[in-house]
Amino acid sequence: MNTLVLASELSGRVVVTLGGEAVAQIKDVVFDGPAGRITGFTLSGRGLLAGPLKQSLPFSRVHAVGPAAVMIVSQSLFEDRDAVVGRGEADRGRVLGAPVLTEEGTDIGTVADLVVETGTSGRVVGFEVAANDNLDPQHRRVFVPRGQSLAVSGQALVVPAQAQHFVTDDLPSFAAQVEAFLTHMRHR
Amino acid sequence: MLFSQAFGLPVITADDATTLGKVADLTVDARDATVAAVRLSGAAGSAEALPWSAVEAVGTDAVIVHSRVVAERGQDSVPAHHRAVGSRVLTEHGVEHGMIRDIAFDPVSGRILTLYTALGEIAGARLMGLGSYAAVVRAEPTLTGAVGSP
Repeated sequence: MNTLVLASELSGRVVVTLGGEAVAQIKDVVFDGPAGRITGFTLSGRGLLAGPLKQSLPFSRVHAVGPAAVMIVSQSLFEDRDAVVGRGEADRGRVLGAPVLTEEGTDIGTVADLVVETGTSGRVVGFEVAANDNLDPQHRRVFVPRGQSLAVSGQALVVPAQAQHFVTDDLPSFAAQVEAFLTHMRHR
Repeated sequence: MLFSQAFGLPVITADDATTLGKVADLTVDARDATVAAVRLSGAAGSAEALPWSAVEAVGTDAVIVHSRVVAERGQDSVPAHHRAVGSRVLTEHGVEHGMIRDIAFDPVSGRILTLYTALGEIAGARLMGLGSYAAVVRAEPTLTGAVGSP
């Protein structure tokens, strides 16, 4: 399984071509909420005074998302900014802060961040949830796996009831929890 | 031979035994993992870089080129220079792999044999690109037999 990262950690990550040139950095991560995937990235220039770029990077054109850099084959693969931003049904801004409900109707907190798989998938595997009393009396930030049947909108995020049993409060063990959760769902 | 051993060697012409300068750096062509050019310091003439094709021999004490004329010919074919030693290394998967400390190359063919980094050795054949930001290397084939691994 690929390493997991928080979506917010991708912002500012350098974009490097396979030719070894740093051509941009990630500004924002754009999500397709219903599909549970990264649509692409908006970009900004590198350096202190660099502003946002008109171009963006569709996820399909990404060679790999790594811990040190986002790798692309060449800069010519950038697309018009609207091509990526317009495609994302629910961007991160709308998902963040949305209340999290289980499919049984229990409010368990709000979305604090998204957990995405690095490598070439761009899959959203779970959510960082700012928990309320129903999930965790100590109000810690916890990780909840994304179910097979995810429902997300600007108003709320619905997760499977079973997801509550696979909650962890740190990212490395979350990777194992996601595996366990997916196995559990398959054998249901 | 190591890049560090080549740095500082005098570059001497074979026809009249004059010194063109000292080896300041070697330019790497990442596409075929070879040394593409020798960059000179203290060059008396106009040549600042000479193409690898002009090099007759790289010995332990000097680099021999045929003649000044040959050395200055083909200047235009020299690819853009990016310093390889000291460059950060990224795999194609965006994972950092230390910095290039030194490079072993074949002094006859100019082929890059090994990149030495703080985190271990990388076969020269894995080199994919070298730019102003990083040297990019092919990801190591995994033992599980991932698709596309050589």
